[in-house]
Amino acid sequence: MTAGNPVPETDAAAEPEVGSVEDALRIGVFPCKCGKNIGAVVDIDALAEYAKTLEGVVHVQVNTYSCASVGQAEIQEAIKEHSLNRVIVASCSPTMHEPTFRKATKAAGLNPYLCIMTNIREHVSWVHRDDPEAATDKAKELVAMSVAKARTLEAQPEHDVTVTPSAMIVGAGVAGMQAALDLGDMGYKVYLIEKEPTIGGNMALLDKVFPQNDCSICILGPKMVDVIQHPMIKVISMAEIEEVSGYVGNFNVKVKQKARFVDPDTCTACGECVEVCPVDVPSRVDQNLTWRKAIYIPFPQAVPSSYVIDIENCLGMDLLRCGKCYEKCEQHAVIPEDREKIIEFDVGVIILATGFKPANPEKIPRLGWGKYPNVITSLEFERLINASGPTEGKLICPSSLDKPKSVAIVQCVGSRDMTTRSACSNFCCAESVKCALLIKEHYPDTEVVIYYQDLRMHGKYFEDQYLKAREEGVKFIRGRVGEIQEYPHTKHLRLSVEDTTHNKLLMTDFEMVILSMGAEGTAGDLPIPVSTTQDSFYIESHPKLRPVDTSAAGIFICGGAESPKDIRDSVIQASAAAGRASIILQRGRFPIEALSAKIEQDKCSRCGTCVERCPYGAISVDANGKYTVMGALCQACGTCAGDCPKDAIYMPNFTTEQITAQIESALKENPEEKIIAFACNFCSYRGSDLAGVSRMQYPTNARVIRAICSGRYSTKFAQTAFDLGAGAVLYSGCHLPADCHFMTGNHWMAKREPRIRSWMKRKGISEDRFRVEWVSASEGKKWQSIMTEMSDVANTHAEGVRSTPKKKTALKSKAKAKPSQKKKVKAEPKKTTKKSPTKKKTTIKKGKKKE
Amino acid sequence: MEQTKDAEKIREIQKSAQPCFQCGICAASCPVFRVAPEFNPRIAVDEVIRTGSVEVTGREWSCAYCLMCEERCPMGVALSEILIDIKNLSSQTGKVPPSVIELMDVIRYTGKVSQASSRTEKKRKELGLPVLPKPDVDEIQKIFELTGAADRLTRYREAEVEPE
Repeated sequence: MTAGNPVPETDAAAEPEVGSVEDALRIGVFPCKCGKNIGAVVDIDALAEYAKTLEGVVHVQVNTYSCASVGQAEIQEAIKEHSLNRVIVASCSPTMHEPTFRKATKAAGLNPYLCIMTNIREHVSWVHRDDPEAATDKAKELVAMSVAKARTLEAQPEHDVTVTPSAMIVGAGVAGMQAALDLGDMGYKVYLIEKEPTIGGNMALLDKVFPQNDCSICILGPKMVDVIQHPMIKVISMAEIEEVSGYVGNFNVKVKQKARFVDPDTCTACGECVEVCPVDVPSRVDQNLTWRKAIYIPFPQAVPSSYVIDIENCLGMDLLRCGKCYEKCEQHAVIPEDREKIIEFDVGVIILATGFKPANPEKIPRLGWGKYPNVITSLEFERLINASGPTEGKLICPSSLDKPKSVAIVQCVGSRDMTTRSACSNFCCAESVKCALLIKEHYPDTEVVIYYQDLRMHGKYFEDQYLKAREEGVKFIRGRVGEIQEYPHTKHLRLSVEDTTHNKLLMTDFEMVILSMGAEGTAGDLPIPVSTTQDSFYIESHPKLRPVDTSAAGIFICGGAESPKDIRDSVIQASAAAGRASIILQRGRFPIEALSAKIEQDKCSRCGTCVERCPYGAISVDANGKYTVMGALCQACGTCAGDCPKDAIYMPNFTTEQITAQIESALKENPEEKIIAFACNFCSYRGSDLAGVSRMQYPTNARVIRAICSGRYSTKFAQTAFDLGAGAVLYSGCHLPADCHFMTGNHWMAKREPRIRSWMKRKGISEDRFRVEWVSASEGKKWQSIMTEMSDVANTHAEGVRSTPKKKTALKSKAKAKPSQKKKVKAEPKKTTKKSPTKKKTTIKKGKKKE
Repeated sequence: MEQTKDAEKIREIQKSAQPCFQCGICAASCPVFRVAPEFNPRIAVDEVIRTGSVEVTGREWSCAYCLMCEERCPMGVALSEILIDIKNLSSQTGKVPPSVIELMDVIRYTGKVSQASSRTEKKRKELGLPVLPKPDVDEIQKIFELTGAADRLTRYREAEVEPE
């Protein structure tokens, strides 16, 4: 996927809000009593008096309930009356009410991102109930930290982009077709891309489908016709994605369509060309069990209903080399001059329904597939038992062409094995029971044995089918097949397997063995930045709550591309994906993350580290080596900024400057006693909130600094905190390996730990003063114990500092006073210059000049 | 001391055995199980998982360490290592078959597992390979004594069991 920055289209509305930054700093602080929740522990009036003394604060107003409509109205009035340009609400956790107060601020005419919250409930009053004095002191310091941060807050424009009301669906199996029909019926233009000459996918190759054992093509065929005849759906077969650029709502797609050499519109599928074609090629649709011609139709019900020329095997369509089909076709549908072409179109959303492929039996040589003719895969069985297959529905042993008297079905081939694929493939148990039933239905005398490890008949109606198989006399033996050997003369097969329920080795002879093949992922070969699992299936945005969304906005997944699944589940998921996609299409506009990263070109050394860090592929580089962030793809985790060696990435509301200001403010007094605790927004900060909600008491010396993701915490923050004499530092994030809400932020943070530790060693800082912890939103207890343990560490350290001569600390406080003064000086001219107030704007200008 | 060491070892064995889901491919592939049905590698592992203790029956010595079970195990359980550990625990209780004691003796007094034949030596000469070094039997004796292997051998001999 390549870049192209979204063009802001609602700039006009945002412009006056940006203007508010130009004025001198006018901070309003609103401490909230929250009834008695805060008021009973924290001395709110003392806090208010203290807040008035802070630099830049022009108005302080106490509310009983800030979040109530009265409280909100008071804040809004104060903003207007005192022309406030920064708002700090000192009340509960921002995870709860930040959106509320941002909305209120916006209604008062101020940019919502100029409003921040100080958490004096979950982090103070609820967890320090027994020590009101210390709690009040902590609350004061937290407010001071917020004021320090608020000084450099900048207005963030809220943009949205228009959405092209069309969709691209990649893969026209049953899932892709369902999604296409759903979106088409809603009235959106759909481009359905299929790699093969026909739509239908894996399902089109099956004979009967479980659990009702109805005919596959009989239910799929009409659907395929619906798709091709749908006025809103454009099927592009024999095509692959060449390039996708753009972002949600505005993807530009280039598709390469291979030459078919037969005009699908004029071809009547009469089949006369096949009779004259002299070339025989193994038929892939029939699993190479029979032959087809170089001009062929995949199967009689194929859609588009047209023949296709396999150019790799065709002798030549001109009369000199062959040209027999060309001569024979009365419709003149054979077009030798057909060439591959690039089709280009714009879509608003993309649904990936690329499906899976059956596992490769060649990878498991002990089962003898490919070596012994009578060992076949489940898909080969489907073709043999299928009435339109190579044997017209007669089950035969490939070696003798006789009906087999005994058939073994071997489960878990290519799945549940660490050497191939460790996961269960979901559908194969039901598939095998179906195969057994089909054999019993056609040839009741055949002996059928299923060798399984765990029979997972978990779906609706599946158990009925299992019961039926038992009743029909299918044998089930629990044990994994060790190996298959062949009797050279009869070509019969011998299976060695342990009957684990009876602790007995079985050596049983069969005439045919069916390998129940698992699924193999095919995801990840498209030029689309959606990450995949190790076994090549697409990763969803959240495994439970956002199962069809991906980390890339506007891109959805469904069917076998997400995980191996049966037809019913594929259809359910396809409709879900279409539904989710239609939300974006129906709204017509898509909001861009206001807090997305920006690269400050004058600082950037063009090392490219950020590109590697970004889990969304949102950072791209142009031909000149200039890196830019695509706002529409960025989710504002800040992992790029966390590792930027030049500190050249600006993370709105979580800038290095702001976080450093918070650290400095927190460590102004008695730094050796303090814990600087970094917490990420979705897990550890919520874990700390839960400790508050559960009233878990812990010492008062922690100063929590929130970031969106743990990936944001650079090594520098811990270093700054220790340089300023912090007693202890905590980096907390979502649990490894997979809990991070931005996919990889916690991994990158964990990689910084050794660097920080080696730096600490050089500086002689004892190891226990720095901790990296994984705290989930449900681990309030863990947060409490971490805080208690770290408090001990900080206190021990503080005692050590106090017993050494005081000169050292005096020096330190001088040292820390300097940088903050510098910052102020730096900040001053920025505010006075007119019309180019924000950092972001100046950098953009610089970037343009360079070009 | 020995007791806690053993308990630790058993915990270790148990941990490495836990991924096993008892599919039985080890037993189906085991050349020993084919001829000696009393030795089932799956049951040996299952025993450890279920009871948390290692039952020493003497049957564990039938394992030929061919590694077939480990090669085919879908869960990557190091069965042969587990069986070696069980053998070690078994040896501590003195249940060592005579064949193993004999082999230990051979190593102790000759420094070799098996003697190189004169044909091997001739072939090596033909191929221009160096003459095989003679093992320092005295040193091996010393190793046996210092590591306590010699004492163990004596103990094994006293508690010698008949092969099953």
